[in-house]
Amino acid sequence: MLKVIKPGVFSSIQDLGRHGHRHLGVSQAGVLDPIALKAGNALLGNIETAACIEITVGLSEFEFTQPCNFAITGGNLNAKLNSKALYPGWRYHAKAGDIIKFASHPEFLRAYLCVEHGFDVLKVMNSRSTDCQAKFGGFEGNALQKGDVIPFSESLVPCSELAIKPTDYTNVVRVLKGPHCDILPEDYLAQLLSKTWTVSDLSNRMGARLEHPTLLPHQKSIDSQGVHPGVIQLPPTGTPIVLLNDCQTTGGYPIIASVIQADLRHFSQLAPTKTCRFELVDFDVANTALKKQEQEITRFKIAIQQLENKK
Amino acid sequence: MTCVQCYQLSEQALVLSIDGLITQEVRQKIFALAQTAYNTNDFFDIVPANSSITFYLNDFTRADYWLEQLITLWEKSEPEVFTPKTHLIDTFYGGEYGPDLNEVSELTGLSQKQAIELHASVDYQVGFLGFLPGFGYLESLPEQLKLPRKSTPRAHVPALSVAIAESLTAIYPSSSPGGWHLIGRCEQPLFNPHTDSPSLLAPGDVVRFIPKEHR
Repeated sequence: MLKVIKPGVFSSIQDLGRHGHRHLGVSQAGVLDPIALKAGNALLGNIETAACIEITVGLSEFEFTQPCNFAITGGNLNAKLNSKALYPGWRYHAKAGDIIKFASHPEFLRAYLCVEHGFDVLKVMNSRSTDCQAKFGGFEGNALQKGDVIPFSESLVPCSELAIKPTDYTNVVRVLKGPHCDILPEDYLAQLLSKTWTVSDLSNRMGARLEHPTLLPHQKSIDSQGVHPGVIQLPPTGTPIVLLNDCQTTGGYPIIASVIQADLRHFSQLAPTKTCRFELVDFDVANTALKKQEQEITRFKIAIQQLENKK
Repeated sequence: MTCVQCYQLSEQALVLSIDGLITQEVRQKIFALAQTAYNTNDFFDIVPANSSITFYLNDFTRADYWLEQLITLWEKSEPEVFTPKTHLIDTFYGGEYGPDLNEVSELTGLSQKQAIELHASVDYQVGFLGFLPGFGYLESLPEQLKLPRKSTPRAHVPALSVAIAESLTAIYPSSSPGGWHLIGRCEQPLFNPHTDSPSLLAPGDVVRFIPKEHR
């Protein structure tokens, strides 16, 4: 079990998300950085969809009540196991009674704690992700609270320490042109692309709201249509919203652009006051980036298997 | 006449969008196409809305194929392929259950009884779901009951409230903030994630409200 001593600013159980229920208004949820989860699970020999804890900001503390092989991935939140410094992209072994702490870091916002076999909470609608808006899934439908005890299977054989080169984060994010640029003022897409945007402190897992001294106001609305993480909505106030994993399933604001799937993970680290810029690409670039990411994960898995076999 | 186009919104999302008058026949065609596409197993999610359907591809390399194929399927789509499910929803109107019924009556010039009868006289169709899990946007409210949203939204709308706004009516599956006029309450659970069919309502379903006497 993992006992929550301090949940920190916001920690929740997440996996690769809830799919197949959007038509019922059920959000995707899931980790904001799927590559970090896949890398953590690859390090531990888990299936890709095993659930982890997504830690936001840090300032959190957990106790392993049983032996555990674990990995941390994502941003470097200055984690420690007892007094030993831990680094993202590494797997480690904890003994019963060991304490893992996440401090914080000015440059990073989210870290992922994966355990061998994954956290063993019940699947709800085929996913272990916490839907924090609708209050189901994860651990009792909520962000982690002090005193929560999260089950997982203990590790019988301590693992060797091993690392995957962490994938870098950037604040230059590639986007595809949105379908509603033609109903918005002519230069709005160009303005979206030329400005450096600041992430607002109203941002959360539902969406990153972006600010700039000159905004992109308008008076257009569209018939509500399906939306998903990555879609950039432009509400009449002119503050673009990059929808993230807890977003609603339909929306009536014009869609000015969409973040390519391979780059959406960068928003997992963009804390309020951080800036970002957008770069327009086409579907070929987007598809190639996605394929490349999938191949990287496959390479990780093969490399880890080879290392395990050598021992 | 309607004009239909299909475009790619993102790597995995294709949108069929319909321009023009959305008649009942067009609506049935939307639900029929959603069902046909669902049966191909090529999509992990299909989200019908008022004048569009968004299809989420399992394999993004199939995008070009489906961009063409969806238009062909739309043209061949027969409205009668879709048979909606009908739900009868027992509803307690007014009083503590519908704190805005009085205001609705004043704003529309209808008596409370007339407003209730009018609201319960129509078969509504679930256009789409969103906002909250299991929250269906039900169309179309009789013309005389159409009102803008409340100027100040409520911070707390009780679960299972029956509400109206603009040309729509809805039932809140769970408690949440909300800006619609609350005219009644029902008892039937609308959403339970722990069951095999979590949502009572699905796109295209028909809903009829049955007024019940307060106990």
